[in-house]
Amino acid sequence: MPFFAGEIFVSDVQNKPVLDQTGEEIGKLKDIIVAGGDPFPAVTALVVASVRTAYVIPWDMINLFNKRVISVNVTRSSLMPSAPAPNDILICRDILDKQIVDINGAKLVRVNDLELGDVKGRLCLVASDIGFRGILRRMGMEARGERLFSLFRYKVPHKLIGWHYLQTMEPKLTKLTLTVSRQKVARIHPADLAEIISEVSQKERSALFGSMDVETAAEALHELEPKVQVGIIDDMSKEQASDILEQMPPDEAADVLGDLPEAKAQELINLMEKEEAEDVQELLEHEEDTAGGIMTTEYLAFPPDMTVEEAIKELRLEAPNVETVYYLYILDNEEHICGVLSLKNLILASPEAKLRDIMTTPVKALSLDAAEKDVAEFVSKYNLLAVPVVDETMAMRGIVTVDDVVDFLLPPASRKKRMRR
Amino acid sequence: MTRWKRFILLLAVIGPGIITANVDNDAGGITTYSMAGAHFGYSLLWTLIPITIALIVVQEMSARMGAITGKGLAELIRENYGVKVTFWLMLFLFITDLGNTAAEFAGWAASNEIFGLNKYVSVPIGAFIVWLLVVKGSYRVVEKIFLVFCVVYLVYIPAAILAKPDWTDVALQTIKPSFHFNTPYVVMLIGVVGTTIAPWMQFYIQSSIVEKGIRKEQYWASRIDVIVGCFLTDIVAFFIIVACGATLFKAGLHIDTADAAARSLAPLAGRYASLLFAFGLANASLFSASILPLATAYYICEGMGWEAGVSKTFKDAPQFMWLYTILIAIGSLIVLIPNSPLIAIMWISQVINGVMLPFVLIFMLMLINSKDLMEKYTNSRTFNVIAWVTTTVMIALTMLFVATMFL
Repeated sequence: MPFFAGEIFVSDVQNKPVLDQTGEEIGKLKDIIVAGGDPFPAVTALVVASVRTAYVIPWDMINLFNKRVISVNVTRSSLMPSAPAPNDILICRDILDKQIVDINGAKLVRVNDLELGDVKGRLCLVASDIGFRGILRRMGMEARGERLFSLFRYKVPHKLIGWHYLQTMEPKLTKLTLTVSRQKVARIHPADLAEIISEVSQKERSALFGSMDVETAAEALHELEPKVQVGIIDDMSKEQASDILEQMPPDEAADVLGDLPEAKAQELINLMEKEEAEDVQELLEHEEDTAGGIMTTEYLAFPPDMTVEEAIKELRLEAPNVETVYYLYILDNEEHICGVLSLKNLILASPEAKLRDIMTTPVKALSLDAAEKDVAEFVSKYNLLAVPVVDETMAMRGIVTVDDVVDFLLPPASRKKRMRR
Repeated sequence: MTRWKRFILLLAVIGPGIITANVDNDAGGITTYSMAGAHFGYSLLWTLIPITIALIVVQEMSARMGAITGKGLAELIRENYGVKVTFWLMLFLFITDLGNTAAEFAGWAASNEIFGLNKYVSVPIGAFIVWLLVVKGSYRVVEKIFLVFCVVYLVYIPAAILAKPDWTDVALQTIKPSFHFNTPYVVMLIGVVGTTIAPWMQFYIQSSIVEKGIRKEQYWASRIDVIVGCFLTDIVAFFIIVACGATLFKAGLHIDTADAAARSLAPLAGRYASLLFAFGLANASLFSASILPLATAYYICEGMGWEAGVSKTFKDAPQFMWLYTILIAIGSLIVLIPNSPLIAIMWISQVINGVMLPFVLIFMLMLINSKDLMEKYTNSRTFNVIAWVTTTVMIALTMLFVATMFL
């Protein structure tokens, strides 16, 4: 068993000589190979190189590993030159200096240094230094830097983040630790996730999306700017893209598809489940900046003769599939709106009452071609959380929810801010 | 894609290339070109053709790296060559950009004095406008304002026409290289070419391509942006040389600064030519005074892993905002403090600029040929030959330019 003690920073051992059994130098420590672990990746081998040859030395051949001495329990002549395998994760090459997601802070940080430590007897990657102290240490100036800053009465803080609070965007590593990644990424709020996604490069984006489950991916995609959405859908496999689109509310899915080239959009719609595909197809036929273009086809509809008790039971079944549960629309056989009922009124009414008797009439509704601006005014005038949208025959076609209107009301600068760094 | 759609996309993508190239004609650039025209007439015009090519070659590589990798140059250097190299590079570039920013404010002050505005009024106003732009603006708005700045550069065209040059002579000297073996001519030649490519431009164009979210599918449009930008820049340079060549050179006047050139134009080419010239200088100075600190703050933050971005607040991106603010504050103060060593500061910044350039260009060439980063978008063999030749020549001339400063 290799002997190591306490915490070791990668910068302290990088480029240190590695000695063999007899004390002869094999080469300098160039990199450290880790394998995906839960939650900490464990060191599996060291990459050692002299001027002419490079060796990958397995961890169990290491004798001592600390700041001062790194030694191997065999002789130099018994080692065969070798190179890392293509799928190996080398922490200096693949993680150090790269951007990484800080789960708790929900933001991007850069890895200035990495800390190795003992986890159940194995040397593992335990933390990342994201602070200025890490930079100073890498430059070999930690002590000098500290003295300099103490002149200004400034104490350079330690900014270490535990590895289990970090998510890499290195494709190899996310693939290797997929379950861990999924759990980590799902802890970030979709809006924060969207902000992170819009700040990283295309390659890193794909890696991040690859490490999300379908629900998280759908929520994050929904929060992004159209231009970024299109780029992400373009990079994904068609199957993955259609899965995510199915998961999104139909109005959001239609927005994304509307920005794609027609052929591509049609192809994705064909891959979606029939029911979702029909909803989306219908929404796509309306102009983008009208009530028809921003509405969603998922809403709660009940017949007028239902009792309150039956309605509540029904509501429990339907609610998970719709965006807004605050309004129940009462529709006749031809889908015409007879009345509306708020969730509050429903709950307060006596269980035997018929919906027909407690609903509010007449219902304020918008036509499919109402302009976005009119929708916003309507929502604000009547203080609504959602507005029903009807066609020429007054049949109900969908609802516009307040969150879609808010986006329109905000000044363009703050709307766009999300995609800009 | 239909032709119309391609055109719309082109308009959406355009910006970074034109803006970056135009900043090349900053206060220092205009001074150099004015002096080239005033002292050597049209005999340096031919150098603009190779200069344009060199500028296109280098800028195109940066733009391509931005579009393909989605990362800024400082970020790529950090990720591939480590924090140590990045730190020192950033530190030195900060110093040279501080000197350059001061030079831009000096140009702004000088041109405003032609319009009768005292520098103690014009510099604080200019600094405040520039500061406000980034602190309060969003990237889209800022870019539009920058593009307007670029259009104003065209005032040098009427200024040159008012100077009534002999157009046949101008055309002839533009296409026919001439060379004079005397020290002042060689020094001027080196100066004209040596100031063409500055390290910060490479960082700026790449970052703004990334910030704009340009992807590899749209890159063809960015390439057009870069090429158009480089041509526009050198067309402006061309007219500056012509304006000074047709007047100051004919009259045998000797000038050392761009504002002196503007003043001397009045009796020779009329009041309007002089005012247009001064207005162009004011525009160029203020434009560069806003881009230089912005670019610097950007790439330092990128390299060091700090949050950065136009329209971020002091709370979100403290390092970015403070770097930007400090560069503008110190840059303008250097101009305002009586007897401050402006010349010495500019001199040091030019020297560091020249010394840093080879490192930046060589890093760029190594990065752009990395298959891991650029996939199939690495340089072709022919392009690599052109790029290495350009780089070597630019490095040599920049070194010579630095050497001439010790003369």
